[in-house]
Amino acid sequence: MNFSFSDDQILLKNSVRAALDEQCKPAHVRAMFDDARGYGPELWGEMAKLGWLGLPFPEEQGGADLGLVELALVIEEMGRAAYPGPFFATVVLGGLGIMLGGSPAQKDKWLSAIASGKARATAALLEEHLDWDPASITATAAKSGSGWTLSGLKRFVPWAHVADVVVVPARSPEGLSLFLVDPKASGVTLKPMVGIDLASRWSEMRLDKVPVGADALLGQAGTAGPLLDSLLRRAAVMSSAEMLGAARRCLDMSVEYAKVREQFGQPIGSFQAVRHRCAEMLLEVENAHAAVYYAAWALTAGAEDAAIASSICKSYVSEAARRVCGDSIQVHGGIGFTWEYDLHLYMKRAKALEPLYGDTEYHRELIARHVTSSR
Amino acid sequence: MDLNYTPEDIAFRKHVQTWLEQNLPKTEIRTLEERRAWHRKLYEAGYLGMGWPKEYGGGGARPMEQAIVADEMARANAPAPTNSLGLGIVGPTIVVHGTDAQKRRYLKKILTAEELWCQLYSEPNAGSDLAALKTSAVDQGDHFVVNGQKIWTSGGKIADWGLLLARTDTKVAKHKGISCFLMNMRQPGVDVRPLKQITGSSEFCEVFMTNARVEKSDQIGKLGEGWAIAQTTLGYERGGRALARITNYASHFSRLVGAAKRMRRHGKPLIEDPVVRQKLGRIWSEIEVERYQALRTLTLLERGEHPGAGGSLTKLSYSELEKRFMELALEILGPYGQLIEGAPEEFQLEVETAVAEQGSWAYAYLWSRAGTIYAGSSEIQKNVIGERILGLPKETRADRVGGKA
Repeated sequence: MNFSFSDDQILLKNSVRAALDEQCKPAHVRAMFDDARGYGPELWGEMAKLGWLGLPFPEEQGGADLGLVELALVIEEMGRAAYPGPFFATVVLGGLGIMLGGSPAQKDKWLSAIASGKARATAALLEEHLDWDPASITATAAKSGSGWTLSGLKRFVPWAHVADVVVVPARSPEGLSLFLVDPKASGVTLKPMVGIDLASRWSEMRLDKVPVGADALLGQAGTAGPLLDSLLRRAAVMSSAEMLGAARRCLDMSVEYAKVREQFGQPIGSFQAVRHRCAEMLLEVENAHAAVYYAAWALTAGAEDAAIASSICKSYVSEAARRVCGDSIQVHGGIGFTWEYDLHLYMKRAKALEPLYGDTEYHRELIARHVTSSR
Repeated sequence: MDLNYTPEDIAFRKHVQTWLEQNLPKTEIRTLEERRAWHRKLYEAGYLGMGWPKEYGGGGARPMEQAIVADEMARANAPAPTNSLGLGIVGPTIVVHGTDAQKRRYLKKILTAEELWCQLYSEPNAGSDLAALKTSAVDQGDHFVVNGQKIWTSGGKIADWGLLLARTDTKVAKHKGISCFLMNMRQPGVDVRPLKQITGSSEFCEVFMTNARVEKSDQIGKLGEGWAIAQTTLGYERGGRALARITNYASHFSRLVGAAKRMRRHGKPLIEDPVVRQKLGRIWSEIEVERYQALRTLTLLERGEHPGAGGSLTKLSYSELEKRFMELALEILGPYGQLIEGAPEEFQLEVETAVAEQGSWAYAYLWSRAGTIYAGSSEIQKNVIGERILGLPKETRADRVGGKA
């Protein structure tokens, strides 16, 4: 039993932090607010070179064949930097989706293109009712020749406007299935959905009889349910890693500020009202760390409790990050509420991820099902 | 990172399980002598003082082995040994700070429960501000004479010996004038009175010392080092019960879910109420996160590192969780949760002999209020976390104004 990082993992974490400290400063994040694409192609190219984009993929497809602990380390650092760009959408939502369900040909095509930085991907997991349960999906796939035509309305599709391929769940005559859709295909309409985190991008994606070929089917028709469950668990834990990074950044900034900001003739960190708040924030962050890396390990190792550990992780970290980021504004006082100060970049990143891939209540119900059925 | 137990640890766990199956007392332990006998049996099996040096009767075992023994004892609902303070606080203090003669004189008898120990730290006016303690120890040439009052002394009634903090110098800053001693409790100058708690029972005592005698050979460390010694002893045993604690919580949680399946609200089983389900899901997450953290702590201990101020995070986390957990339990159980007598079997908490506590939800609820006060209140833990982990500045304190501290 060893719940600590290996030397290689620490090396990876340090190199990601160093690269993002250099190339993803707050000024870069802010510059992307008004950018049409929303991310910098130079940094994207750099991430391909450093091997981040293929990190969890097999070596045959240009990947590094690493696990979710390593991927969580990278994504935590991205949360810490409020990284603006389609890394999560491409590597986790699209990439892991294709890795879990794709044919050898699909993997060769897409995973290699993602790892080399040539392609971006995403997945359209949410519809207008916001139910994460795959059983609720209503988009349809009608048979048409050797392929299908897809129709339906997807919302909150991350980075669809720059994606080359979107994993789309829809109901075919066989049941729930997954399809690879080109967002530039005819019949697809994208409309931006602008949230408070301007460094993240979402689209509404309307599919109106979009024709796709036989090779667009991901996995077997009618068997997408378990695959989506797997993908959602991974997205839940990886988004928790990103929230963890954002929360730790907020904590660090609060502690540094409390050491130097003086009121009543002394640093505010010397007042118990402030110090105790910071201590509680640290406890939340450390617990969140344990929840994220336990779940990332459990998913990678195929541990018995991987599913429930994922739900525990997402429900715990969503709330912890909300509290820590919110409290960091309180510790800062007025300056923390200004646009110029960087705190809101991280607070908004955590907030944007909080309801995604199952919010706290969604996952608590899954936990309740587990603990009441086994007792 | 590999959160699987090693084959050696799994084999050791099996071994402990088998031993417990074969050796658990068949009847409930009622007297101190029965508990001593059980204690000796545990010691002879190698399950007490596992981490202490072998030359003084310890087992030289790894932290993980200690955690596994405690965990399996919790799982089997095994009775606790006696002498918990001797094992948890006094022994480790003597191991680290005692002379060779002191180690030979005291350690083995702690392990065999021949001598039972208590800890004489807190005073009526020195709780969170422990360094304000006033009990004095005056040098009489060949011995010290002790006068003062201690409070919150666990196990004082049965203790043969006490680990004492007393003031030996009133002229220096308050935390520099404190020394550490081993004091015989069986002497005319020591008067022990039980203290009745809100639970109705008396785990704690008050101890009055009037011209009590402490031998020179029973001084631990140098004069004036008592505060530093106390700082290190408070950090012991943070890891040993890490897994066992979670196993206890999990067993309580199962009882609670079982009860919620039998109760009804608005004509439907309570367990189908979404609000109840949310709350159960939340507390189970918190218990599991505590388990993940226990694995992190054990990883540190296994590498020979000391969690240091990190122990404050652990203590703050589980003691506050225990309060939330018991509050939820009594919320779900309604008036059943308040029964100290007459509860039907399905609404009882199992008899929690593992920590020598009584077995009702009501008792566990009341007892949970103690956890965030003893061994450093949550407020003190947050001060420690703020100052020693986060590096936040110390507050200006009235007792330090004028540079005396």
